[in-house]
Amino acid sequence: MTLQSPLSIHGVSKSFGGKVAVENVSFTVKPGEIIGFLGPNGAGKTTTLRMALGLIKPDSGEVKLFGGQPGAESSFGRIGFLPEERGLYKKQTARESIAHMARLNGIKSKEAFKIADTMLDKYGLSEAKRKKNKDMSKGMAQKVQLLAAIAHDPEFYILDEPFSGLDPVNQHVLESIVREIADRGRTIIFSTHVMEHAERLCDRIILMAGGRKVFDGPTDEALSKVPRRMVIGSDDARLTELMTPFAKSLSKREDGTLDLILKDKANNQEILERCVAEKINLTRFEPKQPTLHEAFVAMVGNDMRADMDTNILEVGQ
Amino acid sequence: MKFPAINMRRTYLIARRDYLGYVKTWGFWISFFLPFICGLIYAFVLWSGVSVSPTRYETILDETGLHKAAIIQLDKDNREKISTEVLSALGETILPAAQTKELNALIAEKGVQAGQDYLNAKIPGAGNKLKAAESRMIFVEPPSHDLASLKAYMRGDKQFQFDGEDIKLNGVIHIYEDNGINADYWSPNFNNPEAERLTKKYFKRLSTDRYLAGGNLSQKGLDAARNEALTVNTFDPTKTDLKEGGSQKVTMTDRVPYLAAGILSLMLWLTVFSGAYMLLTSMLEEKMNKLLEMMLASTRFTEIIFGKLLGVAALTITAMLPYIILGIGTVIGFIFFGDPEIAEGLKNTFTIKMVVFFIIFLILGYVFYGAFFIALGALAESMQDAQTLTTPIMIVLSACILVVPIGMESPDSPILIFASWFPLSAPFAAIVRLPSDPPLWELTLSALFLGILSIGVIMLAERIFRFGVLSGSGVKGATDWFKRTILRRKTN
Repeated sequence: MTLQSPLSIHGVSKSFGGKVAVENVSFTVKPGEIIGFLGPNGAGKTTTLRMALGLIKPDSGEVKLFGGQPGAESSFGRIGFLPEERGLYKKQTARESIAHMARLNGIKSKEAFKIADTMLDKYGLSEAKRKKNKDMSKGMAQKVQLLAAIAHDPEFYILDEPFSGLDPVNQHVLESIVREIADRGRTIIFSTHVMEHAERLCDRIILMAGGRKVFDGPTDEALSKVPRRMVIGSDDARLTELMTPFAKSLSKREDGTLDLILKDKANNQEILERCVAEKINLTRFEPKQPTLHEAFVAMVGNDMRADMDTNILEVGQ
Repeated sequence: MKFPAINMRRTYLIARRDYLGYVKTWGFWISFFLPFICGLIYAFVLWSGVSVSPTRYETILDETGLHKAAIIQLDKDNREKISTEVLSALGETILPAAQTKELNALIAEKGVQAGQDYLNAKIPGAGNKLKAAESRMIFVEPPSHDLASLKAYMRGDKQFQFDGEDIKLNGVIHIYEDNGINADYWSPNFNNPEAERLTKKYFKRLSTDRYLAGGNLSQKGLDAARNEALTVNTFDPTKTDLKEGGSQKVTMTDRVPYLAAGILSLMLWLTVFSGAYMLLTSMLEEKMNKLLEMMLASTRFTEIIFGKLLGVAALTITAMLPYIILGIGTVIGFIFFGDPEIAEGLKNTFTIKMVVFFIIFLILGYVFYGAFFIALGALAESMQDAQTLTTPIMIVLSACILVVPIGMESPDSPILIFASWFPLSAPFAAIVRLPSDPPLWELTLSALFLGILSIGVIMLAERIFRFGVLSGSGVKGATDWFKRTILRRKTN
C-alpha cells in the first residue's frame, strides 16, 4: 500500500499588494521525510507554509494536504504547526496551554492533561507545570509553545523557524526532539535560515530564494553543487606548481598555505599520493567539507543573496 | 455562497477558554458580586442607622417674632406629606389593591404612624423602611440671640448642648426688619439647600396667602379647588381585549408592556455594548499573544469567531445573572403579590410572540455587533488602534438607544419603523415595537434581513480576520488595500 503524501504543492503563487512573495513553487512531501525548507528572510518560506495549511489562499496553483483541500476536516488533528510568530495565553499554566492545544486537536481532556504532565516532566519543565505562562522565562515559554504544538503526536509537523530565539542549549534540545519525532516515522518540514540545523537533521532540502524554489533534493546533492575546496601547506616552494593541475583556482593565504578550489575530477587521495611521491613535506592537508551555506551561495549567487537580504518582503512574512 | 463547516467540539473548547479566561479574573467576580455587596452595604446602613448625610442642626433667629413657629410647622407638614406619599407608594408596591386602599384610608384618617403600624402588621418590618425618608434637619433654639455670636457656633469655635451632646450649629435663618422684612440664610455648608429652600417656600406661600386674602380666598380653598379638578381619562380606540364590564380606558395594564419592552430593549443594548467590547479586547489579546496562527492549524476561522461569540455570550449572561434573577423575581413578585393591573400588564407583556422575537433579536443583535467587533479586533494592533476603530461604532450604538424612548412614546413613529429595518438599530427598535403589535410579516422580514446581514458580517469578519491576523499589517494593511483597490493608487 502506498502511503498518502502529507503535502503536495503545485505551481502556487502569491502576491501581496502587487509584490510577489511566492512564485510558481511546487514540491511534494513524502511520508517519513525530514525536509529543511531553507532560504534567507523574505524568501517566501512562511507564505508557502501558510498556503500549505490553508491559512492563506494562493493566487494560483493547487495545494493538497493529506490528499484534500487545506482546512478540510480530515486534516485537523493530523498536523502539528509551530508558527514563526508564537505565544501563549498569559494567564494559563504550562499544562493548561499544552492540554488546550491537544484538546483542540482531538485528545480527550483527561488524556490531554496526562500528556501535558508527561511532556513537561520529560523535557525538564516539571516545576513550570502550574506556573502561569506570564511568569515563565522566555526559554521555558518557547519550549512550552513547541510542546503545545506537538502534544497530540500528529503525523505531519510543520515547524516555521523553530530554532529562532532559542539559546544554543535549547537549540540542542529542540534538535533532539526533532530526531525523536523522526524516529517515530513522522514527517517533518521545517523552515530555517540557519543552514547548520538543516545540514544536521534533514535528508532532503528545499531551497527558496526571492519567492522561487531554487533547489529541491537530497542534502548530498545540494552539497555536491559546491566546488570542493582544500587548504594545503608546505615549506617546499614546488607545492604551487605541483597543485596547479588539480585546481580550478588557487590562492595563497596569509599564513603561506594554499587555498584550492578543486577540479571536478581531482581526488584528495591522488593529491596526497603525488605529494608523497615528490617527497614534499606537508605542513597542512585539509580537505574542506562543503556546507549548505556554500551550496546556497553557489546556487543563487552572491549578488542575488545580498540583494535579497536587503530587500526583505515585509508583507506575508 | 457556501457557509463554512463548524466543528462543535472545537467551537466549544474555544468558547470555554474565553469564558474561563475572564471568569478566573478578580475583576469579573467583583462586578458579579457588586450588586449583592451594594445591597448588603445598604442593608447594613439601614440596620445600623448610619447616615451618609449627618443630621443638620439649624436655628431661626427671628427678630420680628412672627415667622419662626410657622416655618417649623411648614417643615413638619412637608415631612408628614413625604412620609404619607412614601408609605402609600410602598403599600401600592407590596400590598394587594384592597389592602392598599385600606392603608390609604387609614393614613388619611389617623396619620402616618397608624399607616406604618398597619403595614408592619401585614408585612412585618415593612413599615420601618420609612425611616429612610425621615428628615435629617433638626431645628434648635438659638444658643444666642445675636447673629455675630451665632457665627462662632457655625464656625465651630463654640458648641452648644443638645440631648446631652456637644453640637456644632450648621445654619441660621435670620429674619429681620430693614425697609420691610428680610430673610438671609447663613451656613458654612451653603451647598446643602434644605433650610434655604424651606425658608423660600415659606415666604412664597406667605405672599400667596396675602394675595388670596385680598380676595377673601385661602390656600386651603385653592388646594381644595385643585383637588376637585376634573380628571382626564385616556382611552384607546384600538383596545379590543375588554374585560367584563370594562371599557377602552387605558390602565396600567395597557402601559406596562411598553415599559417592559423598553427595559428589555435596554437590556439587549447593555448586553451588546458590554459583550461587543469584550469580544474586541479578547481578539486583540489573542493577536498580541501571537497564538492565533498556531490555533488556526487546529481550528477554522469560523470556529474561532463562533467560539468567541459563544464564550463572551455565556460570560455576559453570567455577569448579568444577578440582574436577570432580580428582574425575573420582581416580575414574578408583581404577578403574584403586586397590583392586579400591573400583574395583568406583565402577563400581557410576556406573550409567546414577545418572548420568541426577543430571543431572536437578542441573538441576532449580539451576533451582528459581535462579529463586527471581532473583525475590528483582528485589524487592531494596539488598544489605541482599537479605540480609534470602535469610536464611530460606539457612537452609532449609543445613538441607537434613542429608539427606546421613541418606541415607548410613539410606537407607530416612522423613525421607529425605519429603525426596525436599519440593521444597526433593528434589534432594539423591533423589541420596543412589539407591544404595539406590529404585523408578523414585518417582524419576520426584519429578523430575516438582520439574519442575512449577520451571516454577511460573519463572512466579512472572517475575511478581515484572515487578512488582519495573518498579514500582520493591521489598520495599515486595510488602508493600503483601500488605496490599491478603490483609489487605484500605489502603496509602499
